[in-house]
Amino acid sequence: MITFNDVSLVYPNGTQGLKNINVEINEGEFVVIVGLSGAGKSTFIRSVNRMVTPTDGELLVNGENIIPKKGKELRKLRTSVGMIFQNYNLVNRSSVIKNTISGRLGHTGTIRSVFNLYPKADKKLAFENLKRVHMEEKIYNRADELSGGQQQRVSIARVLTQEPSIILADEPVASLDPPTSHQVMTYLRRVNKEDNITTIVNLHFIDMAMEYADRIIGMRDGEIVFDGLVNEVEEKTFEQIYNRPIREEDLRGSENDASASGE
Amino acid sequence: MMNNEFKLPPKPKSNRKRVRNLIIALILVVIYYWAFSGVLSRIDWSFVNKLSDNLTRIVPRLANPDWAEIGKVTELIFETVFIAYAGTLIAAVLAVPFGFWAAGNMVKSPIWNTFGKWFLILDRTFPELILAIFFVISVGPGAFAGVLTIGLTSFGMLGKLYAEVIESIDMDVVEAMEANGANKVQILFYAIFPQVLPEFLSFALYRFEVDIRASTVLGLVGAGGIGTLIVLTAANRDWEQLGLIIISIIVVVMIIDYISTKIRKRLV
Repeated sequence: MITFNDVSLVYPNGTQGLKNINVEINEGEFVVIVGLSGAGKSTFIRSVNRMVTPTDGELLVNGENIIPKKGKELRKLRTSVGMIFQNYNLVNRSSVIKNTISGRLGHTGTIRSVFNLYPKADKKLAFENLKRVHMEEKIYNRADELSGGQQQRVSIARVLTQEPSIILADEPVASLDPPTSHQVMTYLRRVNKEDNITTIVNLHFIDMAMEYADRIIGMRDGEIVFDGLVNEVEEKTFEQIYNRPIREEDLRGSENDASASGE
Repeated sequence: MMNNEFKLPPKPKSNRKRVRNLIIALILVVIYYWAFSGVLSRIDWSFVNKLSDNLTRIVPRLANPDWAEIGKVTELIFETVFIAYAGTLIAAVLAVPFGFWAAGNMVKSPIWNTFGKWFLILDRTFPELILAIFFVISVGPGAFAGVLTIGLTSFGMLGKLYAEVIESIDMDVVEAMEANGANKVQILFYAIFPQVLPEFLSFALYRFEVDIRASTVLGLVGAGGIGTLIVLTAANRDWEQLGLIIISIIVVVMIIDYISTKIRKRLV
């Protein structure tokens, strides 16, 4: 459970990232945040694992206010909140399995991790998670030998290996083509349902938000301008969120559109 | 047809730029005139006559090496290569922490970071021979002084190159590791080292090539290696032996350059 109580964030350069956000995200929900770029979507999700620090208010994650956390406490929070990035952020020169097991770093002692002495259970966990995203045949390949979709799947496996209770995904499909995007979203959705992991995803594609979300939160200028279940959402809702008519570029297209170009 | 008619839009002309360029050109002309007139008025043209005499007397002897001394020369060349190797090794290891200190994305305080950069600049300002003399005086003549000299001069350059490598890494990976709760040491080993170590090694190898050439002259001031022999043979006008030394140096440097280039290609 994540609770934002009057959370605001002003960046050092004076930009207001978040304005008095009040919202509650329940355990196991799949929430998609939509909004134009610069609307504060990234700031919103990066507050949850404190990659950015809100300047005002109270942000409760699993019952604890996380805003004052630092050092060891902060690292402990981050081990329970996994994050997926637009550019996958894998170490290009390292193997798939090494990238995946780096999800365990927060749970592993410094010396053990430096000498690659992971417990058998951790290695098994990493391999099982690679199997879940169907990457088990590539475990010894270097990350930069993989396609974008495959890299994002490895990064999902890395997050799962962390055994988080919350997954944050910051524009996870913005660099992918439509079929691969659907594949990645399907994996995220499946993990959310099977493991009951609360998932917050930033997207700017309306059709994908509608297809995968339980609940949609719309943001504009650092404020929440819409919050509702997916069946309450109409095209008009998005026009309100975006404050302009919907365009072609706001849509990702269906899975079958370009399935010929799949991996 | 179209090609002939096409013209790029005219370049904007600025009088200020023209005046500036004219002034620069004028200053250059004056400097060149001054420099050449000075050289021409003071030159001693008799050297031209001596030149052909010297060339016909010495060059054939250089090209006709005296193979009798090959054993001694080989031994000293090996010593030279080992001085370069040990010195580069010291520098390559020592430069790692200093590289991190001088890398802008690794040190939070800009002032502290600038100190790191300055320290490396300071190290690079010492000319090799001056440092070599210093070490010959402090630890005595011999290979050890040479190793220290190479180590200390290379480390400044390697530190700067390492810092640039570190500044060019993908910080997103570091962010990903921070986001999964890794501590600083773990981030170093999992996100930073895999990105920088191949380049570090490549620069160290390149520096080794440079250091072999540098260590051949260290002997001039008694810091070990083949340099001492070069000075002695030149002083004795033993051109046959000097020819052997020069040829041996060229061969060794070429072989090591070739191998190290091959290795470096495979690294990155």
